[in-house]
Order: sequence, then C-alpha cells, then structure tokens
Amino acid sequence: MIRDLRVLKAVMIKDLKHYYRYPSGTLFLFIVPFLFTFLLSTMGSFVGGTLAKEYFYLRTGVENFFLYQILGTNIWIMAWVILEDIGTSIRNEQIKGTLEQNFLVPINKFFFLLGLSFAHTLLALLSFIVVVGSSLALVDLESLPRLFPSSLILLLGLIPLFGLGFVFSSLVIHLKEPYSFTHLINTFFSVVAGTYYPVHILPYWVQWISYSIPHTYLIDEMRKIIFSNQLVVELYGNTIILLSMGIIYMILGLRLFRFFERRARINGGLSKF
Amino acid sequence: MKPLVVKELTKIFELREGNIFSKRKREIYAVRDVSFDVDNGEILGLLGPNGAGKTTLIKMLCTLIEPTKGEAYIKGYSITKEAQKVKQNLGVMLTGERALYWKLTGRENLEYFAALYHLDPSWTKSRIDELLELLGLKDRENTLVENYSTGMRIRLNFAKALLNDAPVLLFDEPTMSLDPQSSRLIRSLIKELRDKGKTIILTTHYMEEADQLSDKVAIINYGRIVALAKPSELKVKVNKSKVIEIEGRGFERLEELNIKGIMKVDYKDSLLKVYTEDSRELLPKLLEFLIGKGVQVSNIKLPEPSLEDVFIELTGRTLRD
Repeated sequence: MIRDLRVLKAVMIKDLKHYYRYPSGTLFLFIVPFLFTFLLSTMGSFVGGTLAKEYFYLRTGVENFFLYQILGTNIWIMAWVILEDIGTSIRNEQIKGTLEQNFLVPINKFFFLLGLSFAHTLLALLSFIVVVGSSLALVDLESLPRLFPSSLILLLGLIPLFGLGFVFSSLVIHLKEPYSFTHLINTFFSVVAGTYYPVHILPYWVQWISYSIPHTYLIDEMRKIIFSNQLVVELYGNTIILLSMGIIYMILGLRLFRFFERRARINGGLSKF
Repeated sequence: MKPLVVKELTKIFELREGNIFSKRKREIYAVRDVSFDVDNGEILGLLGPNGAGKTTLIKMLCTLIEPTKGEAYIKGYSITKEAQKVKQNLGVMLTGERALYWKLTGRENLEYFAALYHLDPSWTKSRIDELLELLGLKDRENTLVENYSTGMRIRLNFAKALLNDAPVLLFDEPTMSLDPQSSRLIRSLIKELRDKGKTIILTTHYMEEADQLSDKVAIINYGRIVALAKPSELKVKVNKSKVIEIEGRGFERLEELNIKGIMKVDYKDSLLKVYTEDSRELLPKLLEFLIGKGVQVSNIKLPEPSLEDVFIELTGRTLRD
C-alpha cells in the first residue's frame, strides 16, 4: 500500500510540475468563470431589463446574481477540466510517447489514475478558493467563512467526477481523439446540471438526467451552504448520493479503463497515437 | 529454467482496410512461431530489417502487446498471466528519445520512474547518482530534458532501463542516432552488464554492433527467426567469400574484365573490387588475366563474410530494407 501511495505521489507531482511549466492551461481555470459570469449578467440584463434582478430572485430565491453564477460556472469549469484533463494527460502522454513507459512498470493503474486526478484536485481546489473566495470577499464578506465547508463538499463531489474522468481516459486509450465527444457531454452537463439556473425550471424528464450526474448535487449543495447558510451535516441526503455516485463511477471508470487497456494490448494500440 | 524463455510466440494483427462502405479485415503476421531462450550472462542480438517483427517481439516480452499464441517466461513468470511479476524483473529501453518527459529534468525523470518501479527511497538517490555518473549526465542532471541533445536523451533513456537493476534487460536499438562516442559508451556498458550476469536482448540495425556484442544472433525476417546461432557459426554458413580485393598498379590498362563468374567490378585508385558468387574459384583465372594485361599486383584479400552477408544469404534482403 505504501508503495502504491508513492506511485500516486510521483504521478501527482509529475503532473503538477507540468502544470507549473505550462502555466497557460492553469490560468484558464481562474479567468473563465469571471468571463462567463460577465457574459451571463450582460445577457440577463439585456433580456430582463430593469426588472432582471427581481425576476431572478423570484425564480431562485437568491438576490446575488453574480455570486450565483460564479459558483455554478466555477464548478462547471472545474468539472469540465477534471473530466477532460485526466483524459488529456493520457492523450498528451500518448502523443509525446511516454504513455507506454507507464505501462512498462509494475504499478496498479488505479493509483496511476488517482495520481492524475489528485493533481487536478489541487488545482480545482485552488481555483475554487481563489475564484469563489475573492468573489465572496468582494460582494458578500459575511459569507466568506462558508468557503471552508463548501470546500469540503467540493472535495467529496470530486470523487464521482474522477470516476467520470476515468471513463473519458479509457476512451482516450481506445478512440485516441475523443474531444468532440467530451466537449458535447460537458456542454450538455452545463445545460442539465443547473449551472446557471435552478434545475426545477427544466422539463420534468430532463430533471431525471440532471439528478443522475454529480454536478447537479454538487452545485446544489454549494448554493445551500453559501446562500442559505446550511450546515454540511444537514445536507446528508445529497452527500450520500454523491458518495454513492463516487463509488459507482469510480468502479465503472476503472473497469472501462482496464477493458480498453486490454484491447490496446491486443491490437498494439498503446504505442499508437 | 533459463531467465528468458520464448515458446512459439506469435502475433497476428487484424487490420481493417478499405473505405467506409466496404471494409475488409486482413490478418498480418507480425511475429510467427518464434522460440528461443537466453541464459544468464548472455546477449541475444535480434537482427532484421524494418518491419521484420523485432519491436513487436520486444513489446510482447515486456507485456505491452498481448501475443495471439505462444508463451514466454521472464525469470519463470508468464508474460500472459503474471505481467506484474514480469515487469518487476525487466529493464526495458524502447527506441528513441520520446520515452522521457521533456518538461522534467534528467533527475526528475529518473525519480519518477524509480517511484513507479517501487525502488526503496533510501536506495533511490544513490542509484540515480550512480546511473547519472555512469552515463555522463551528472553535470546536467537538473537541466530540463527538452534542453538535452539527442545523445543525452538516449543515454538517459538507457539509465532509466537500468534503474531497477533487473535481471533481464531488453534494449531496442539502444545506439540509434547516437554519436560514435556515446555508442561506444553504451556498448561497453552493455558488455559490463553481461559480465555481471544479466540476461540481455538487443535489437539493432548495426551489424558491427551485433557482431561485437552478441553471444547469439537471431535473424528475423517477416516475423520468423530464420537463423539462430553464434555470429561465428552463422558466418561459417556463408562459407564462400563473395568479394576479391586486389591492390596494384596498371588497372587503367583494363578495358573490360570479361571473365565468367564476375558479377560486378569497382575500381578506385589502386584498389580493384570484384564481386562474384565464389571468389576462390574465380581468383586463379582473374590473376592470370590481370598479369596477362600487365597489371602489377601487390596485395590480394578475400574478406570474411559479415553478418550482413549472412543476412542477405538467408533472406535475400539487406538489413536496411
């Protein structure tokens, strides 16, 4: 087990060094949530006119449109990056020629994938603290202490996202270029997960899809903590669902990864890109 | 059981060809019924042209590719059933310089792979120091690999293969693209490893390298091993020398060399090279002809066949085909 943890640490540090030495990708995490929020605020004002804020409050129960959007956008962007970046890391290794080297060593692939995930977790957490923390400090200083419990929930919510990330990385092993698919899925998630609006305004049948993905629960819990000042323990229902999804998606992702890895060993796909 | 045993290993790749409307499957035999074994302190050289199946064979042995049929054992562990144990006992250097992380330093690369090979942390630092020193990279250990020369990258890749001090080593073209000095270093290290009792498989395009390093040579062509023996034994198989080299003066007087059995003639300065099917049979007739034309012969050589001659004899292809 200690050996496996050393593998996890080595993979995580290696990926973090790559982030540090290719800094432009990291900046994306910190800037895009603000840009999206600005875009949506402008569109909302344009459509809703002078009553836009009142309409928004009536539908969401939240007065602070900016904070509502930045929270949703930040989580969606983080989820996008986690889902795609675990696969992207593997894709980059495929192209650079280092992927094969990681299959030559006697490691448990679960810890390899987890190592990739943890590197992204640190970045995700950092971006959440910086983006949401600075937004709270700017517009609702009183709520700033709620950043800590919401970060805890974020860590929990990342587990099922890792599982989905494993699924995408297995697609990379098989399809090599699955980005059109992942972009489609990620955009779809943004529509159904209540990123910019509450899920209950969606058609009933769409809500079924919403409640089958972790994003929805994560965003919902965050908003309850930040805007309604609910305690983490009060949210046990969502928390249990997130944990269950974590287990299911992790197992699914790992099994798919192993399945496609085996296929790649049969057709020589590990060295192809 | 010998440390490396290969039994009837076969790999068939299934290719899909054609356009979107009419796809058809085609089976390609990359490796076909290959069997051999390698002992402790022995180097097996795998010789063959591009596409002969050398790399597929190496990749099957290191579990990157699953064989279609057959089996191989590394230190008694099956490559199909005990992949993790196999990997623990293998050091592998695959072709090229892309096997490294270019955005990490030389030392960081080795530290990363040391962790993945589960090296004891107390040993990791001294092992990495030792290897960096050995490969002449110590003074550039903290430079990003992207700033290394090709030779340095290949040497670092070689060091990576030695990290876990595995009993069985697979080197795929270890000196390709290297300058003569670095090639010499790698070759001498491979010999040292053999002397320490390591079991080594080496694929190469370079005849001299295979000749110099290998205790046994396997010639592989279209996925099959067509010959497997000591280099000297293989050369005996091609017992006819095919070139006659004559040094002398007066070759310019020759208008043509019209003797039965001559295939080709090269003439430069004071050296005449005559290519034939059987030089020993041709030599007396050739000398008689030359002396008759007033050529002053000062030296005659019948060069021994090289491994390349052996390869051409056995396969009808050159090694760089």
